[in-house]
Amino acid sequence: MTSSLAPNNASVFLVDDDLAVRRGVAALLAAADYAVVSFESAEAFLLDLPELELDNAAMLVDVCMPGIQGLELQEQLKAQGVALPVIVMTAHGDVAMAVRAMRSGAVDFLEKPFTADEVSSALTRAFSAELPAAEPNESLASDLRTRFEALTPRETEVYGEIVAGATSKEIARALEISPRTVEVHRQNLMTKMEAGSIAELVRMAVALGICD
Amino acid sequence: MTKIDRSLLEDILETIDAPVVILATDGGILRFNKACERLTGYSAGEVVGRKVWDFLILDEEIGAVRSVFEQTRGDDTPTHFVNYWKTKNGGRRLIEWSNKKVEATKVYQACIIATGKDITEARSQEKALSESKAFLRSIVDASPVAIITTKDTGEILTFSRQAELSFGYDWAEVIGNNVRMLMPAYEQSRHDGFIERYLESGEGHIIGKARPVTALRRDGEEMPVILHVSEFQDDQRIFVAFIEDVTEQRKTERRLAETRDQLQHVGRLGAMGEIASSIAHELNQPLTAAASLVGAVSLTLKKADRETNRETAQLLDDAVDEIRRASEIIRNMREFVRKRKTARSLYDVNKVVEDACKVALIGADADGVCVTTDFSPKAGEMLLDRIQIQQVVTNLVRNAVDAMKETPQRELRISTARQNGYVEVRVEDTGDGISEEIEKHLFQPFVTSKEDGTGIGLSISKSIIDAHQGEIFGANKDSTGCVFAFRLPVSKNDLIPGP
Repeated sequence: MTSSLAPNNASVFLVDDDLAVRRGVAALLAAADYAVVSFESAEAFLLDLPELELDNAAMLVDVCMPGIQGLELQEQLKAQGVALPVIVMTAHGDVAMAVRAMRSGAVDFLEKPFTADEVSSALTRAFSAELPAAEPNESLASDLRTRFEALTPRETEVYGEIVAGATSKEIARALEISPRTVEVHRQNLMTKMEAGSIAELVRMAVALGICD
Repeated sequence: MTKIDRSLLEDILETIDAPVVILATDGGILRFNKACERLTGYSAGEVVGRKVWDFLILDEEIGAVRSVFEQTRGDDTPTHFVNYWKTKNGGRRLIEWSNKKVEATKVYQACIIATGKDITEARSQEKALSESKAFLRSIVDASPVAIITTKDTGEILTFSRQAELSFGYDWAEVIGNNVRMLMPAYEQSRHDGFIERYLESGEGHIIGKARPVTALRRDGEEMPVILHVSEFQDDQRIFVAFIEDVTEQRKTERRLAETRDQLQHVGRLGAMGEIASSIAHELNQPLTAAASLVGAVSLTLKKADRETNRETAQLLDDAVDEIRRASEIIRNMREFVRKRKTARSLYDVNKVVEDACKVALIGADADGVCVTTDFSPKAGEMLLDRIQIQQVVTNLVRNAVDAMKETPQRELRISTARQNGYVEVRVEDTGDGISEEIEKHLFQPFVTSKEDGTGIGLSISKSIIDAHQGEIFGANKDSTGCVFAFRLPVSKNDLIPGP
């Protein structure tokens, strides 16, 4: 097991409307040595925000909640100039929403349920990296660009659609090819870009500046 | 001739019921018997010496009468002619004449004897009869139901215009043939049986009752028909068959039945998907909690870094894997239904909506619902999944009908329209409307105001319309009832008739 443990004094603000999920995820984060503060809603988080220590902190937020949803919270923080790395949690199949979150600056997204490893590596990235939209590493950027330019026109198109939040079915319809072909393009695309997940693919797109 | 002979002849001439007129060779009247007087109203004294065509013959017949007269005068053979005589009071009688020339004798000058028969009444009856026959024929030929008459032997006597159209035979091809030629083999024996039984017992299974049977067209196609047979006795027994071609009707029924089956099937699938979807979301939360808790314990154990702990941690990691697997199963179930191949083709929006309404409205008449439809021809054709869209329409229409169960005013209005780049389908009712409580969660699963409702219908409808990139909404009307509508965006691939 390679679960990386938390950097010193790192804290995570956990926002989820489900009590059991808050308890479980808080326990997992605590076991990974993060200091966890839980909130049952975006509103509750915003209420406490002025008193929170934001240095060396990240936020783990559910995208689908009653009242203010994860994405709106993210937008509000951005608007208020609060620089807090955000990881969104989604239920199954909400790739579109996750992609939107990442385009708004989320570091990563996690599909529920997730393992200790997955949440740890997402948080590690959140803490180690500067915020992703900030100055990208030069050599990494040129490396990414080389991979990106090696894509076929079709793969580039599919990439664009994925980043726009389209499902395979929607891509198939837009490009007038079969969903199965879309899957093939997506596999090739991920291999060529060396992306392990859609989240990573979207992150790269943000770094490449191919998002709107 | 003796004197007696002459007086006898006079008596005969005056007592005979037939009009007899004797003309001189110039056409002047020599004798005009009593029957002629009765017929015309003129007395013999008034007419003797006058020419017949000067006052007794219709203007338009004078030419013909004179030429027959000339022919009679010039020849020994008798002539026959039918013409009118005008009566004194302006009437006319139709008379069938036999004319014969009599040569001059010592006693008489040459003359022409014409003996007539008044056929005025006989002819008008005949005419009436032939007119009524023509009238009957025109009715028979105008009938949208094929009418065939046969003898009790099955020999075809008449074959109406519609019969020609339905069966594809010209009447001349079937008259005189046995009616069996109009049925497939398996109906022929049944038909013979029916006739035999009827003729023997006088009990008719087929007389006076409408029966669905199969007929045979000239091109060999079988044709479903409704047959109604009656009989009448003339000088012989005649059967009259009224035959209604119900091919189109059957086709429509079959199409609607198919649509209904498909809708039910997809409805079940859709309900399963929607339930799976909801379950997936609801169940995923505790699974996330459980996986996280177990993960936390595993991490804690690993940090203590003892051999036994590591083994235990491995077991816990396995437990997390199982929890994730449970989550995957639900995801797959949901994906399976969601990603079901959708068959999008170009469909006539109005036709799709109309068929769905027919299925949804089965039995609605009985509930006293007054249905009006207003389908805009501008709705055109769109790329859509027919069954899915029909499922939405059926849901909305059934909801509307259900909403009016308890209300005195039951009016349902279904309409289509195209505006601002989308096609809209509206379903309006005069029911109780949407309660405030329900309104907030209108399209969420398991929300229902019906006693036996599942709360799945509108939720599925929303999923379907979302998948078509459209929108669906429902609201109370200012007057009683509510309106539900969905809009589908018009894309470049859709065929919309020009404005």
